[in-house]
Amino acid sequence: MPVAASAIYFLNLRGDVLINRLYRDDVGGNMVDAFRVHIMQTKELGTCPVRQIGGCSFFYMRISNVYIVIVVSSNANVACAFKFVVEAVTLFKSYFGGAFDEDAIRNNFVLIYELLDEIMDFGYPQNLSPEILKLYITQEGVRSPFSSKAADKPVPNATLQVTGAVGWRREGLVYKKNEVFLDIVESVNLLMSSKGSVLRCDVTGKILMKCFLSGMPDLKLGLNDKIGLEKESQLKSRPAKSGKTIELDDVTFHQCVNLTRFNSEKTVSFVPPDGEFELMKYRITEGVNLPFRVLPTIKELGRTRMEVNVKVKSVFGAKMFALGVVVKIPVPKQTAKTSFQVTSGRAKYNPSIDCLVWKIRKFPGQTEPTLSAEVELISTITEKKSWTRPPIQMEFQVPMFTASGLRVRFLKVWEKSGYNTVEWVRYITKAGSYEIRC
Amino acid sequence: MALSGMRGLSVFISDIRNCQNKEQERLRVDKELGNIRTRFKNEKGLTPYEKKKYVWKMLYIHMLGYDVDFGHMEAVSLISAPKYPEKQVGYIVTSCLLNENHDFLRLAINTVRNDIIGRNETFQCLALTLVGNIGGREFAESLAPDVQKLLISSSCRPLVRKKAALCLLRLYRKNPDVVNVDGWSDRMAQLLDERDLGVLTSSMSLLVALVSNNHEAYWSCLPKCVKTLERLAKNQDVPQEYTYYGIPSPWLQVKTMRALQYFPTVEDPNTRRSLFEVLQRILMGTDVVKNVNKNNASHAVLFEALALVMHLDAEKEMMSQCVALLGKFISVREPNIRYLGLENMTRMLMVTDVQDIIKRHQAQIITSLKDPDISIRRRALDLLYGMCDVSNAKDIVEELLQYLSTADFAMREELSLKAAILAEKFAPDLSWYVDVILQLIDKAGDFVSDDIWFRVVQFVTNNEDLQPYAALKAREYLDKHAIHETMVKVSAYILGEYGHLLARRPGCSPKEIFSIIHEKLPTVSTSTIPILLSTYAKILMHTQPPDKELQSQIWAIFSKYESCIDAEIQQRAVEYHALSMKGATLMDILSEMPKFPERQSSLIRKAEDAEADTAEQSAIKLRAQQQASNALMVTDQRPAYDTQAVNQPGLVKLPSMSNVERSNAEQGATHANGALTVIDPQLPSTPSPDLLGDLLGPLAIEGPPGTGPQIEPRLASDLESGANADALAIAPVEEQTQTIQPICNIAERFRALCMKDSGVLYEDPYIQIGIKAEWRAHHGRLVLFLGNKNTAPLSSVQALILPPSHLNMELSLVPETIPPRAQVQCPLEVLNLKPSRDLAVLDFSYKFGTHVVDAKLRLPAVFNKFLQPITVSAEEFFPQWRSLSGPPLKLQEVVRGVRPMPLSEMANLFISLRLMVCPGLDPNTNNLVASTTFYSEGTRAMLCLVRIETDPADRTQLRMTVASGDPTLTFELKEFIKEQLVYIPVPSTAPNPVPPPNPISPQALPTSPPTAVSDPGALLAGLL
Repeated sequence: MPVAASAIYFLNLRGDVLINRLYRDDVGGNMVDAFRVHIMQTKELGTCPVRQIGGCSFFYMRISNVYIVIVVSSNANVACAFKFVVEAVTLFKSYFGGAFDEDAIRNNFVLIYELLDEIMDFGYPQNLSPEILKLYITQEGVRSPFSSKAADKPVPNATLQVTGAVGWRREGLVYKKNEVFLDIVESVNLLMSSKGSVLRCDVTGKILMKCFLSGMPDLKLGLNDKIGLEKESQLKSRPAKSGKTIELDDVTFHQCVNLTRFNSEKTVSFVPPDGEFELMKYRITEGVNLPFRVLPTIKELGRTRMEVNVKVKSVFGAKMFALGVVVKIPVPKQTAKTSFQVTSGRAKYNPSIDCLVWKIRKFPGQTEPTLSAEVELISTITEKKSWTRPPIQMEFQVPMFTASGLRVRFLKVWEKSGYNTVEWVRYITKAGSYEIRC
Repeated sequence: MALSGMRGLSVFISDIRNCQNKEQERLRVDKELGNIRTRFKNEKGLTPYEKKKYVWKMLYIHMLGYDVDFGHMEAVSLISAPKYPEKQVGYIVTSCLLNENHDFLRLAINTVRNDIIGRNETFQCLALTLVGNIGGREFAESLAPDVQKLLISSSCRPLVRKKAALCLLRLYRKNPDVVNVDGWSDRMAQLLDERDLGVLTSSMSLLVALVSNNHEAYWSCLPKCVKTLERLAKNQDVPQEYTYYGIPSPWLQVKTMRALQYFPTVEDPNTRRSLFEVLQRILMGTDVVKNVNKNNASHAVLFEALALVMHLDAEKEMMSQCVALLGKFISVREPNIRYLGLENMTRMLMVTDVQDIIKRHQAQIITSLKDPDISIRRRALDLLYGMCDVSNAKDIVEELLQYLSTADFAMREELSLKAAILAEKFAPDLSWYVDVILQLIDKAGDFVSDDIWFRVVQFVTNNEDLQPYAALKAREYLDKHAIHETMVKVSAYILGEYGHLLARRPGCSPKEIFSIIHEKLPTVSTSTIPILLSTYAKILMHTQPPDKELQSQIWAIFSKYESCIDAEIQQRAVEYHALSMKGATLMDILSEMPKFPERQSSLIRKAEDAEADTAEQSAIKLRAQQQASNALMVTDQRPAYDTQAVNQPGLVKLPSMSNVERSNAEQGATHANGALTVIDPQLPSTPSPDLLGDLLGPLAIEGPPGTGPQIEPRLASDLESGANADALAIAPVEEQTQTIQPICNIAERFRALCMKDSGVLYEDPYIQIGIKAEWRAHHGRLVLFLGNKNTAPLSSVQALILPPSHLNMELSLVPETIPPRAQVQCPLEVLNLKPSRDLAVLDFSYKFGTHVVDAKLRLPAVFNKFLQPITVSAEEFFPQWRSLSGPPLKLQEVVRGVRPMPLSEMANLFISLRLMVCPGLDPNTNNLVASTTFYSEGTRAMLCLVRIETDPADRTQLRMTVASGDPTLTFELKEFIKEQLVYIPVPSTAPNPVPPPNPISPQALPTSPPTAVSDPGALLAGLL
């Protein structure tokens, strides 16, 4: 396995080191200064997450107000390093109770050091599963595994957990009420030309689960995806049901999914870990239902005036509604004065991002609110460069709507004791990078 | 402060200061800029207060480094506000945000002008400051007259006039052509009468700028300057607020003296006297005190005064006083003062006659070389370098060498370079130079650049007397235990070239030299190994008779490196190995390196390059020029062309010729090699008429062989005229009138070209003539490359060929002018009609400036060029040899006074003459048989056979038999070979280098007269 990191640094936005851990001594301790000088304090920041300075590679990622920087001096696996960072952040979040930011780090130095010792060894990633780490690194982060012997709780056999057949689930769990929550979360990425033709469009989706189930349950999930349905109709030798079937690309599963059964029967069956986890991820590139259509007209009237008209049309069912819709309409940097007329929501000019920001809190389906704005520009002494017209960006969330059309057909739970379970299913579609050129 | 009461501004600034990071700051700034834009766009307009506030904010944002590209209109409009606070903001922000190229400034010009010509002096000051800060061309055009008026107006307060002077200065510096300063000399003179010191200081700055452009117009200011200086330094008539630590306005003093330095000299005796009085006072009155600020001020004045003294070229007494003062300074403990002292002393070197006085401080300067402060050490080094001349070179160089071993690493390279240059420039004798450089390499090997050791090798190669000494020294250094690689390089090179000169000394046999060099081989880097390989090859070549053991050792090394990864090493190993197998060829290729062409020392050039930037170096350069005459030149083989030098060879040559011939005849004994140095006292005056006679006499090429040994000298010289006359005729005869001297010996170049096909035929400071030849049978094609070395064109270029009777020559058109730094090619076709040793002459002339240069150059279309080596087997040779029986087809001659050389060397010589040596044909190993084919139109291809019989006991004589199918050819070939065998390189043995255009060709010079062959039988008997 390739090395993922020689050192990891957590920096705040000013570039101060909050905490760091050197895993190998092939990078100097002052390499982070190079990062600060050559990346953080220049405009390079945010352009490319991998940079090489003086024989060292820097992989960095900003999460809330913390930069996580991985330094390697050898040929490392970049994807592995980034995956490691993402997983580590998930781990920290589960320890800190949700938030991961500068303050959370400052408050949990000891815990973080302990975790950093555990999750990577000599640059090789180790177990990052919160469930297992929580067995022997206590949540408070003050007790070491040795002192915990004195505690009432018997020390769980972490080794068995890691090496056992079902490494991700502890035995002997008991819940009074057996519940399963399943969320399908999709984000739509779109790039549309000003004429309305789709240039690029895809949906990345994930299925998140939260299980509160006793014992060792076996779960089986049925979706309206193409392969699954075809296989099923083959097995049951009856024609496939009419209706929309979805073709999923790039499907990845959580380790709990039984891949042999998936390969033979095309069904997703698994013994779930306790608590929250991400069951699967997928991508869809065809047959995407776009939730919104945007029709912009932006006219530049002379040197100092502009007229902006934007019509947004929701194309999902009339009973549904979108939440937190934000339309960002870019305007030139020298915008001085704006006046708006909107049929719903509120709009204002944000000089920090050079955009007109139009917010609609609740956006029912099958409606088309419009915004018309007049923008006045101030004259400048520099030769007026022609404005580049960046694309309009949108943010939204549409509950109970999937852009892909994916549906859960069934979710079955078997357990030896045969208890009854309650299953909850939710759908939500969010905007990824939803851009319309104008 | 104007900021008080502007809450919005202070809130904004504190917001910015509270930002955690750059990102937050940017967001805040963008927000504020958006806000400002909205406000500026507001229809209702802004109150003056708001406008002021937002413009301040813009300035603050601009200062933070963000682009502010709007709002200039507001800023400019504030300039025309009636109240001071707004006006001030307008002026400040405009001068910060805009530069002279912004069109926006045009809007402001009128307002600014109104302020300048207005009555309010605060506004005037603000406006003048703005103009001074961003005054572009347009400002200068429209405002300069107003500013000038302000400056001389009597109604203005000094405050305004001060600013006006500085503003005008700035406008003038920026656009000297726009600001009209005609007739300003009177006004400047008036201004210099000013009592107010502030105005005076500003005006003096202006004067410095004006005078630096045109000092002629401001002569009238000179006495005023002196008066000002007097007022300050002598009368101390200065208000309290303008004295600084008791020194009356040091700034004004410095400026005044600076202005005075722009005038070439002070002519008026009264002014001069009073100026010197003041300077004297400054020089006397300055001392080193405790207070740093006072020291700084007084020394600033003092050093400016020193500069002025140097500029005025004061009398020696004052100079020596200056040097004494500096001498005091360089012994002070304070490093700054010592630095300044050393620096100024270096500057003083410019004034020639103080050098001796400076030399008195040599000990102190050498102490400074050990100062803990490196900048002082550098200054001291510079000074030592600058003050070095023949008298103290030995001391200084030795001191530098001594210091080298302890010197700072940062300085060693410079130090070693300077030591090397000084040693080269002022060497009292060459062996001392070699000593110094070898010591230098020994002590600071890492810091000795390649140039230094290249240079020493050049010296040694070009000075024969030096070679044994250098070889000995190199041998001594090799004995040392751990020596630097550069030393290995030098030693190996020198020992390879000249190691054989040491052969008789203990421990210097080729084998020993080889083994001691070979010891170093494992420790050296790849760049040195090739040099060592060459050395081995040379050692091998010089080992006569060949030493089998050494040979096998060296061959083993060569074959080891034949597979070396480094291409250079591999190539050398393979080639040397193959060559050394061949034996004879090795001799030719590895013979001693020719002399290096004389050129400027690369070291000195390097030093000059490095020094070009520092101002004080001009002094050193100046001195370098002055001392160039006593600088040692590498191959200064160009003596003055006085009549004696021209006559000398003649005087020497002819008597010695007859001497040889007589001694040959009378004693039949060997004679001193070349016998050139022997001047026969009996015949000092005869040659001159002979020479003339020879010149005018008919060509006697095919004249009969000599008649007998009893021939009188007079006749002898007549007889040899055949050999000499052509050479005489072709020698450049203009050398006495010629002012432009050729570089290097033309004769030597010609001789080299006889052996090879391309090279330089002639070179002088303006032109270089290169030649490239191709020979095929009796045809030849020469290309002359005429290269103009100068930056000016050469005009009236003429080239005329004077061919001898046997050659048909056609020169293509030569262009009239040669453009600067260009090279033109002129092909020349040659056709050989019949065998002859006569030479073609190129009459070449050109004009450079007023000089007309005319050179008569011999062209290397010589006899041997038409030879084609051919190998003949024994079966072909002997029938041919026998069939050509007796004269005139077969000629035999005993040649004496032959340059002693081993047989192999002779074989090499033959090969280079295009005579194929055929080994094995003659059973006697002391004999040499060669064959060749001669091509001419008359004879077509003609086989020529040559046999040389040598006497191992006496290498100065040999018997030569030449045979061919054509009598003329036989004779010519015989004479030609003879010339080559008895040839003596003239310049190396002559005590005084012989001038290149030797009126008598050295080639023809030592020809043994044909008379000597009169009795072959008797001679042969003597030989055996």
